[in-house]
Amino acid sequence: MAPALLLVLGLLLAPVGYNVWLSFTKWKKFKGFGEYAGFANYEKMASNPFFAEALLNTAIWVVASIVFPIALGLGMAMFLRNMRGAELFKNIVFIPRILAPTAVGVLWFYVYAPAGLLNRGLSLVSGSQVEIGWLYQDNTVTPAIIATFVWQTAGLVMVLLLLGLAAIPRDPIEAARIDGASSWQIFRRITLPLLMPTLLMVTILSVLAGFTVFDLLWVMGVNYPGQRSLALAVFMYFEAFQKGSWAFGSAVAVIIGLVVLCVTWIQTLLQSRVDRMVR
Amino acid sequence: MKKILIGAAVGAILAATSAIAGEVQLFHDKGFWSEQLQKVGAGSQAATGVKIVETPYATAEQYKAFIQASVASGQTPNLFTWWTGETFNELVSTGQIAPLDDLWKEMIESGDYGASAKDLFMVDGQPYAVPLVMARWVVLYNKPLFAELGISEPKSWAELMAAAETIKSAGHTPFLATVQEGWRGFIWFQELLLRLHPEAYNGLNDGSVAYDSDEVREVFQTWSDMYAKGWFSDARSTEEVNDYARGAGAMYLIGEWAYGLVTAAGVPKDDVGVFIMPNAVDGNASAVIVEGAPIVVSKAGIEDEDTMAALKYFVSVDGANVWGEASGNYIGNDAANAPNTVVSKVNSDMAAAGTGAYLRWWEAVPPDLQGELVAEMNRFMLDPTMETAEDVMATMQALNAEYWADQ
Repeated sequence: MAPALLLVLGLLLAPVGYNVWLSFTKWKKFKGFGEYAGFANYEKMASNPFFAEALLNTAIWVVASIVFPIALGLGMAMFLRNMRGAELFKNIVFIPRILAPTAVGVLWFYVYAPAGLLNRGLSLVSGSQVEIGWLYQDNTVTPAIIATFVWQTAGLVMVLLLLGLAAIPRDPIEAARIDGASSWQIFRRITLPLLMPTLLMVTILSVLAGFTVFDLLWVMGVNYPGQRSLALAVFMYFEAFQKGSWAFGSAVAVIIGLVVLCVTWIQTLLQSRVDRMVR
Repeated sequence: MKKILIGAAVGAILAATSAIAGEVQLFHDKGFWSEQLQKVGAGSQAATGVKIVETPYATAEQYKAFIQASVASGQTPNLFTWWTGETFNELVSTGQIAPLDDLWKEMIESGDYGASAKDLFMVDGQPYAVPLVMARWVVLYNKPLFAELGISEPKSWAELMAAAETIKSAGHTPFLATVQEGWRGFIWFQELLLRLHPEAYNGLNDGSVAYDSDEVREVFQTWSDMYAKGWFSDARSTEEVNDYARGAGAMYLIGEWAYGLVTAAGVPKDDVGVFIMPNAVDGNASAVIVEGAPIVVSKAGIEDEDTMAALKYFVSVDGANVWGEASGNYIGNDAANAPNTVVSKVNSDMAAAGTGAYLRWWEAVPPDLQGELVAEMNRFMLDPTMETAEDVMATMQALNAEYWADQ
């Protein structure tokens, strides 16, 4: 117990506490932290237009990372649930998950390039030259990166939901079938409620992934002029490491941490309610 | 307590990487030159008995964090590379960097270096660094294409415009420029500003000239017009150097160091020509933008014989030759062999015209503004209309005004 506690304190709580303290200081280049700044970094953040944009984009990311991977993962899980010979398809869908996000980012960066695979495919289909700058335009950069994110994460969601589906007892479903319930009714009234604990766990993972997404945005958004405001994590990195505003960057990290804590806490409450309902 | 903690951490890092007797560590963030710096290190060992051990950091961000923490804790490394411009001034203002007046006196009196070579490394009238690189920003051009179209090297703005027109009429793209890697947006901006309004160039970086001033607006108008004529390659390309090798642009405005890149990409050495971009205003003094990377010495380092022996070797004719041959970099030592034909041509052109040097925008701009402003310039390159330019100028000036208001 004691060694584990020491590890948690030393490797988790101490850096978090240090970061919180830094966010209330003024960083002076080559002199370090020291001067107490109160809420100055937080006030500066509130008036920063790039922060507001990053916050909005993060909200889009969180919603997208819940909706798309879960919808796709659930669809595939239901489809493959009792299918014979589905192992190969499951493996293919899961493969992107084992790749490093940075490598995935580089790969898709070239797929989306003006002369890349996607535009070439579209040119073939349309019969005219397509040169869309997917990762260069305000209206396409976020959807393009989200599509990559879904491509990488849907496989894991599918596997987790398949495990959840496998744990659902067969009896109530069989009974409903005998009573003449349709497939949709069985899904809505039996499968989905019993799958809720797994879905909530997947949602928590998806929300955390959406809030902290960084590698894909950093690699794929390298040439996008608004890269710094693509998400809060990117904004934080830009401020702390590229501009050297470490105290300000620490304040952004505190905000990300607080938001994630709140969302996770709400979901934990929901989880316990769902558990009680299912029981 | 905080200083003790930082000091202990930095001390541990420095102890873990400390050099043994007869070795001097050179900390840097330029891993792409590790092999080349090792050759200089070996050369130093052979010539002086002191080996330079290059100690690279993977990224500029990590490296800046390490140096800042080292300086904050009073454990500044003896020898390390940095950047010129405002961030150099900040480093020197810590009082932990040694002035190198005596070394520069030797370098200039020996005839190896011109007096102006130290200009980039001066703070309050004293030099605080020697050059790791002195790269002039020039135009590399496609010699065979110029010959085929009967174009000679442009000596004036009118000739440059005429050359671009001729190239475009022949079905080629005159200029190569991209936003690859997110940092390139400033290249044409700084060049056009220097050619159109040299008096505003320095003012832009000390806050006295606004980013939405008439001078800057004229830069964007000129730039936008050139785009409208179809004179630039696709800014979205992710293969700038290979594009040049493939002939996607006849003229490539870039640092001299790109000569090595384009020849490595397959352009025959003899096919690469070079000229300094002419002024847009007749009668203005000849000028070129220079990128200088400094090597600095700490106050403890200047007292260390091995450190100074290593540094003196680096700037000597022998050191410059080894470094130039290995990396293609020029450090301002005119007695050394020019690393390549581009450098020697630029040297002779500058000597003939009495060309003055201007610090590159990237180093001259306050570091806090650098990333955000260049992102705005990239934004213009991706949509090079005056409508976008107005928005870009307004955003840049808002950031600029906010920064200077805090100073």
